[in-house]
Amino acid sequence: MNIETILQCLKEQNIEKYRINERLVETAELFFIRKAQDVKRMKRAHLYEVTVYRDFEYDGKMKTGFSSVTFSPSLSEKEAGKKIASAYNAASFVRNPAFELLPGVKEEPKTQASTLADVSLEDAAKIMANALFAADTAEDAFVNSAEIFTEKKTERILTYTGTDVRFTAYVCKGEFVTQCVAPQDVEKYVSFEYNDLATDSLTACVSSAIANVRDRAQAVSAPKAGEYALILSEEHVATVLDFYAERASAPLIYAGYSAYKKGEDVQGETTGERLNVTLVATQSYSDEGIPMQDRTLLSDGKLCCIPGATRFCSYLGEEPTGGYTSIRVDNGSIPLADMQKKPYLHVVTFSDFQMDAFSGYFGGEIRLAYLFDGETVTPVTGGSVSGNLLDLQKNLVFSTEKFKRSNYEGPLAVLFDKVSVAG
Amino acid sequence: MKVAHDEYLISVKPLLQRLVNALNEQYPYASVLATAASSKQYSVSRTGVTLSESAEYLNNCGFVVRVFDATHACGEYSFNEISEENLPEILAAVQKTAENLALSDARSFPLPEDEPLTLDAATDYAIDPETVGDGAMIDRLSAIRQKALGMDERLLDVRAFANYQKYTKIFLSKNRDLTQSVLWTVGGVITFAARGEEIMNYYLPCSGLGGMENLADLEKNVDVAVNGVLELLQSEKIVPGEYDCICTPEVTGMIVHEAFGHGVEMDMFVKNRALAKQYIGKRVASPLVTMHDGAAANVTQAATYFFDDEGTLAHDTVVIQNGILLTGISDYLSAKSLGTAPTGNGRRESWQRKAYTRMTNTYFEPGKDKLEDMIASISHGYLLSNASSGMEDPKNWGIQCMVSIAKEIKDGKLTGKICSPIVLTGYVPDLLQSISMMSDGLELGGSGACGKGYKEWVKVSDGGPYIKAKIRLG
Repeated sequence: MNIETILQCLKEQNIEKYRINERLVETAELFFIRKAQDVKRMKRAHLYEVTVYRDFEYDGKMKTGFSSVTFSPSLSEKEAGKKIASAYNAASFVRNPAFELLPGVKEEPKTQASTLADVSLEDAAKIMANALFAADTAEDAFVNSAEIFTEKKTERILTYTGTDVRFTAYVCKGEFVTQCVAPQDVEKYVSFEYNDLATDSLTACVSSAIANVRDRAQAVSAPKAGEYALILSEEHVATVLDFYAERASAPLIYAGYSAYKKGEDVQGETTGERLNVTLVATQSYSDEGIPMQDRTLLSDGKLCCIPGATRFCSYLGEEPTGGYTSIRVDNGSIPLADMQKKPYLHVVTFSDFQMDAFSGYFGGEIRLAYLFDGETVTPVTGGSVSGNLLDLQKNLVFSTEKFKRSNYEGPLAVLFDKVSVAG
Repeated sequence: MKVAHDEYLISVKPLLQRLVNALNEQYPYASVLATAASSKQYSVSRTGVTLSESAEYLNNCGFVVRVFDATHACGEYSFNEISEENLPEILAAVQKTAENLALSDARSFPLPEDEPLTLDAATDYAIDPETVGDGAMIDRLSAIRQKALGMDERLLDVRAFANYQKYTKIFLSKNRDLTQSVLWTVGGVITFAARGEEIMNYYLPCSGLGGMENLADLEKNVDVAVNGVLELLQSEKIVPGEYDCICTPEVTGMIVHEAFGHGVEMDMFVKNRALAKQYIGKRVASPLVTMHDGAAANVTQAATYFFDDEGTLAHDTVVIQNGILLTGISDYLSAKSLGTAPTGNGRRESWQRKAYTRMTNTYFEPGKDKLEDMIASISHGYLLSNASSGMEDPKNWGIQCMVSIAKEIKDGKLTGKICSPIVLTGYVPDLLQSISMMSDGLELGGSGACGKGYKEWVKVSDGGPYIKAKIRLG
């Protein structure tokens, strides 16, 4: 089975509208317990995803139904043909308003510039493993376990509108747990993702996590229940601000779950900073073959873009952009040290930090926070934070220090003036 | 009716057998797991109709070879193209995967006993989802949605959905030849309503092993889902504190699964990441509590199967008996690291992923109390329902679970006041030891999937009876 036989199969079944995504994903995967390799894995996954579109009239209105199937190249032409026929039949029951994919794009294959491409996937995984364990030098606090995945993905996208593009992307991702055994035995979970052999960043990330877990081992009490000036930092800032990208997305607006309108001041009346957020393209093309580019999402708190795939953007009369997974935030007015001059609760680790784009609520159980009562800073653990961004967005203060990871670039910290904590 | 085996997988079985035979000549142990999973996901909501067979975690077909080298280090190669012609390529890829195992600082494991075993098994179903037809399924979901929307104009949206997965797995080693086919089906209704910019939702699922017969109650759920979200529109913030609580079976299930179950996954014992390791043989819960996990447990739910992804037969593991922690659950590598027997809990998200220790059907046995007596026993507390999410903390047994609804109880009666959203926190053994009443019914749900940390999704079910416990709410 290959692209040509799939195209032939579509032709034989008189299916004119289709999208084919051919993906080849190769990985090297290393799993560690302390510094010993637990399991080593390699993967080669070659898949075709075929989406068929079907236009038809229903209740006097034109509809476009669609359905997708996936299969491996090992499947026989006959079996693949059956799957495609089944999907085309299914599409006739999917009575969605009509839409068309964008006019075709034909471009030379693109390869993401990455130092991960300079070595084999296995060697890249070993280099990143060495970087991870380079910071693991202490006896009292150390890396408990780690998983490292290096991945090369090559994708070709063909559509009935003439799109035929290919791109290759690399990523190194994984997770690790740091542990400190005394005076309390505690741990910290960290995930990471880089598009390069970011050895220095990973080593620094591990160092920071080891320092955090050492502090957590000293934390014995939960903050008293009440309201606090709350500081969130690093990935938690990214999670909170993802609210805007999700709330602005075409599917949520089309469904009426979000009332955002382009040009509208979504932040409302504010006394704090006005938000400036950019959607960042992390791959060459969307799943539909739309060329991806950075786009302004919020400018001074006003919505500039409604991102999404062709279907929902078409329904809303917006330009289809493809889906975004990364944001850049151009905010920051005071140094973190200035935020910390008044009493605060700075939560650096949650058990699981959640942001609900539907309700605006965010929160989680505190694993490690630093409580400043105006005189001393005390590590605390336990209790939970619960806030609502819809209220708190009126007075946001961001740090001038920056933080970067694969899905976020922007202020290191955000200060909320009054957030409820259950002790 | 028994679920039929996947024809493609059966057709390539001779090739897989040759692959295993060739690998067994090179390595002290080799096995292959073949998986063919097909699924359909139907959804009808304000965004339209969705019908997909492409969700990767539910639809996949591929193979994973596991070998132990001469030092008994473990390596795996996952792939999804196999033919007479590319067998040498696969062998070469396995060799490349395994060639550096002995050179690195790798852990070694006792080799699998590989006791001879042949198994050919399949689960039962009454209504094959594939015979229902896509049109009929979408019409049914559309009717449910319309019925719900017609009940109250404050509803912003209603999503009705149904999914099923049918999978066949073949496990081959030198002495083992295991084949199983399983079918599960889930469905549900989610209602949405707005309070200003806040969007409230209420989720009411149904699930089970088998086919569309599991969705018989879907229409009956509509009233409950509509009333649930309308109640949420009146909800207030809770005053944080510790309360006497009654948990519905789904909230009990979330506590069983998230708060305690993840803590007895024994790959966490190997990494010294689970406090439970120090509590084997000790009291961790009220004497009322007996907890099971097992794909072969005496319940049939969505996580029922016959053998796991490492070729170990499914078990029914009694984890807690009358409050005493007896054992954890384990995959093969973890069990061998700890010197224990694997419990049939080695599961992969798909053929593309590593096997970890994972839960299956996890639940508390029922007690003898009546729900009305449980409510009547509370002077001031809450009835917790509509579990929404939870996160494990095996290391410190901290609880983080969220529910959508807390109904106030005062002087033994529901007052009508509702608080939302609710975060449950505290220390797991404190909560489990505070359990003072358990109802006489047992309900399990398997509509969701479970992650290990933030990835590795597998189908699980959990549940139990109504329980009464002291819980810190925020």
